Amino acid sequence: MLLVRSMPLDSQEKMQRALQYAIELEHATIPPYLTAFYSLQPGKNDAIAGLIRGIVFQEMQHMARAANILNAIAGQPQIDKPEFIPHYPGGLPFHIGDRDGHHFDVPLQRFSIDLVQNVFMRIEEPDEPINFPVGTHMAALVAEQYRTIGDFYRAVRAALKAEWFTGDHARQVTSYVSAVYTLADAQAAIDLIIEQGEGTTTSPLSGMGDQLAHYYRFAEIFHQRTLVPDNSVPEKYSYSGAPIPFDATGVLPIVANPTSKLYPAGSMARVQSDIFNEIYSNLLRALHITFNGQPDHFDAALGLMYDLKLQAIKLMNIPLDASTNAAPCYEYAVA
Amino acid sequence: MSYLNPPRLHFAGKFQASPSTVNNDPDHFNNATFIPDYQKFGRGASNGWWNPMGDAVWRLIGCKVTAAWLKYDAQAADNDPINTCLIGDSDRSPPAKMVDLDPEQQMVSEIWGLQIRICLPDGTNLLRARYDTAAFMDIWDRSAGGGGDAGGGAMYQSVLTDLEWGDLSGSPFLTALKQSAKDGLLSIKFNVDGYKMDSTSPDFTRGRIVGTIGPSSAAEPRHFVLGRQFMAAAGPGGNFFAPAGRVNFCTAVVDVQAGKLVLDLGNALPTNTPGGAISDLGTLGLGYPVPPSTGGGGQAPVLLGVFNYSLPGWYETTAGLVTLPAGRVLTQDELTAIQQSVLAVTATAANGSTTVAIAEAPNGTYVRADRYVFRLNPGDTAKVRLFASQLGAPYAGARIICVRDPSQLQGQMFSAVGPPPPVATPADVVDFPARVVADQNGVAELAIQVGDPKQVRNFIDGQVYGVRPILEDDLAFGAGYNFNQWEFVSLLVWSSFAEENPPTWYGSIQPIFQQYANLYPVMKPIVDLADYDSVCTNVRILELAFGLPIDDPNSMPVTRDLSDAKRAAILRWLREPGPDGKPRKGTAPPPAAAAVAPAAARAIAPPVSEEEPIRGGKALAASRRLMLRKR
Repeated sequence: MLLVRSMPLDSQEKMQRALQYAIELEHATIPPYLTAFYSLQPGKNDAIAGLIRGIVFQEMQHMARAANILNAIAGQPQIDKPEFIPHYPGGLPFHIGDRDGHHFDVPLQRFSIDLVQNVFMRIEEPDEPINFPVGTHMAALVAEQYRTIGDFYRAVRAALKAEWFTGDHARQVTSYVSAVYTLADAQAAIDLIIEQGEGTTTSPLSGMGDQLAHYYRFAEIFHQRTLVPDNSVPEKYSYSGAPIPFDATGVLPIVANPTSKLYPAGSMARVQSDIFNEIYSNLLRALHITFNGQPDHFDAALGLMYDLKLQAIKLMNIPLDASTNAAPCYEYAVA
Repeated sequence: MSYLNPPRLHFAGKFQASPSTVNNDPDHFNNATFIPDYQKFGRGASNGWWNPMGDAVWRLIGCKVTAAWLKYDAQAADNDPINTCLIGDSDRSPPAKMVDLDPEQQMVSEIWGLQIRICLPDGTNLLRARYDTAAFMDIWDRSAGGGGDAGGGAMYQSVLTDLEWGDLSGSPFLTALKQSAKDGLLSIKFNVDGYKMDSTSPDFTRGRIVGTIGPSSAAEPRHFVLGRQFMAAAGPGGNFFAPAGRVNFCTAVVDVQAGKLVLDLGNALPTNTPGGAISDLGTLGLGYPVPPSTGGGGQAPVLLGVFNYSLPGWYETTAGLVTLPAGRVLTQDELTAIQQSVLAVTATAANGSTTVAIAEAPNGTYVRADRYVFRLNPGDTAKVRLFASQLGAPYAGARIICVRDPSQLQGQMFSAVGPPPPVATPADVVDFPARVVADQNGVAELAIQVGDPKQVRNFIDGQVYGVRPILEDDLAFGAGYNFNQWEFVSLLVWSSFAEENPPTWYGSIQPIFQQYANLYPVMKPIVDLADYDSVCTNVRILELAFGLPIDDPNSMPVTRDLSDAKRAAILRWLREPGPDGKPRKGTAPPPAAAAVAPAAARAIAPPVSEEEPIRGGKALAASRRLMLRKR
């Protein structure tokens, strides 16, 4: 269950700040999801990898949609800044709590069923109202007007005003997402974001396969079976479909939550980790100019995404010691 | 105007070049006999050599400005921010790529899609520019030890275009540099050495780089300096080139107005170890022969000055440039003598004996193609710009003889799977005039028309050729001209391609993609080009990559060795799916006849010596040059 900051939305400028926050939210889960995804060795666990890949792709689309909305209301996405990247674990731009109201962190960690159950499923949990036990961290946040991410987007949707949509149409990015020119476009984009991931309804019956909300796709990985309609149970669905096997030997033993300091200067791991940070930072800068008036630069950003994948794999295959390999740090490199 | 003239800056740091080495061996191009071992790290033609997972990336690492000169004797002020600047490549696009022209011409590797930036340490960009594609030149055995490529050195020279300047108000140096770029062009030249080929080292695929950025103009050649050309005599041995006087080919310019001479020794002085300190060659100086009128003969040259090349940090802070005379300007007499005499670099040993390390040609003549690497489809014409000069001045009316010259091409000598692919045949595919004459600016255009080499190399597309321009003056009997073996034009002429209508996987597409999948295993996590389903999943990015202009860093194929006809077929195949919405599969062929058994192939492979892992690179290719074969 995600709780996000409650933000005032009653002016165009305040709405622009809220949408910048949305862009950062959508980006924040990508490095943890990608780290788990890249740690899966090719040829083993391909079904699991495919599911995570699909989820990451949609988070990226959400980020692009939020940026399009921000541009549509004459804002300027800020992506090429060190502050754009959260600190892992724990420094995310939102709070995550379990049903007992306790806060938990999101690590950069190798794939495991535990990670899916205890972190990823919690991040994507359906947006039903939960009464957190009094005295817990989460109850305190709720009292401070923190809200679920679904509520956040619903509030944004309700507060957008047609007269704010004065942004330059040429700034809209249409690679893998639709342009946003009008209030109706923005509302449609937000409905998609909500439906696909955040703030989903409690029933998956509105979608299957690629239409399944992220929570249910992670649940399929956890249950190791696909979700299928099932009239024999009251929920009308069950995890009784095709098996999704997990091969525990097919996961690279990467270190958790690394920072550059962990890798000695001049070592193989440090050299390759620095390159990863450079590619990742170049990617953020490429996305920045894509969403700030150069939509054609998206192709360069796409190329960098593939470079990032190859570099992550290379880095994750470098041993640090007898039992652990290196992993990406996702740090901003300025030059 | 070039990088030798001020305003100019010098920089130093590291570079990275990580080619895929599976494609170093022509045998590996044969789909029918390819085996998985060819993609594994290891020595000898049966394996993938020293970097089979290479991604062809070329990048600058940690390069810093080490000096900035406003005028010949005036550096930028200490507080000019240029002194803190970094020289970087792209900060928002995929990195540049370095690729060979062909497995049988690996000595003209070009850098494609490079962006160059000058930025402050916090990343604020003061200049962003495109680096015009360029091949290296003057490769030589710069260092003893290290073996092969590790001991090699080479230089790249090009221009920066599409200059985007930032806020220069804080830097008088950069303001001057911008003003000097009159045609929106800057000149850039860098020297590379100390390349590390040990895959267990963190510095694997990295080496040392020093360079210079200065002014340019549209009238100048882009890839060399029209100046005083020092021509090295060939010494014995070496993998690439060992100059007899230990000093490699180099260039100087005389700035008559400013009364200065600048000599670039950046790729000309040997080192004790690869990427290490410059070797002690005694006192080095630049001079010219005593003019006959003063009763010369047997006297040492008149020295304009000596070089402080042994000072610590000299190489990094000067990139090898020497400005003479120090602390004064050339007198009118000196200028007159310099413009009429050949120049020489002299070396004086501790015992006082002076020898000429390297000199201009006796008649001071020189001709070179500016751009010298061409990829051509059948029926194309390469327009080669030749520049002729004499003692640094344009040689109007120069008569330039053009000859077929395959001597530097590296034909495979041995094949485990059939006759080795020949180079430069059929010769008549390449047609050009035997002689061209330079205009009043010393420039001539040589038009090389090419036909269709057909499948002369069987499983390698096309054919490689060499064409060498030579001044008629330098062919005179007894002229004794020290030609630079590397100064010739390399051409890759693609084979014609029978269009399949419409293109299908099992027809014309799969063989092309299979070859790329074999040669570039690094791609596999992204797309397995040998697998139809993987290709179908990635139709969109493949269409993007194959449709990019050749100088985009992401242009596919990375090796830029795809003919226009094949590229058109691939794009059509990707863009015009069949009824099932996927690229057309066509009809599967009947099972292929048995290929050469891998065990048998390895049994007849040539014996591999202990040094092969080190020599398995350009050094090995260079050892296959036609000119080295005994008749």
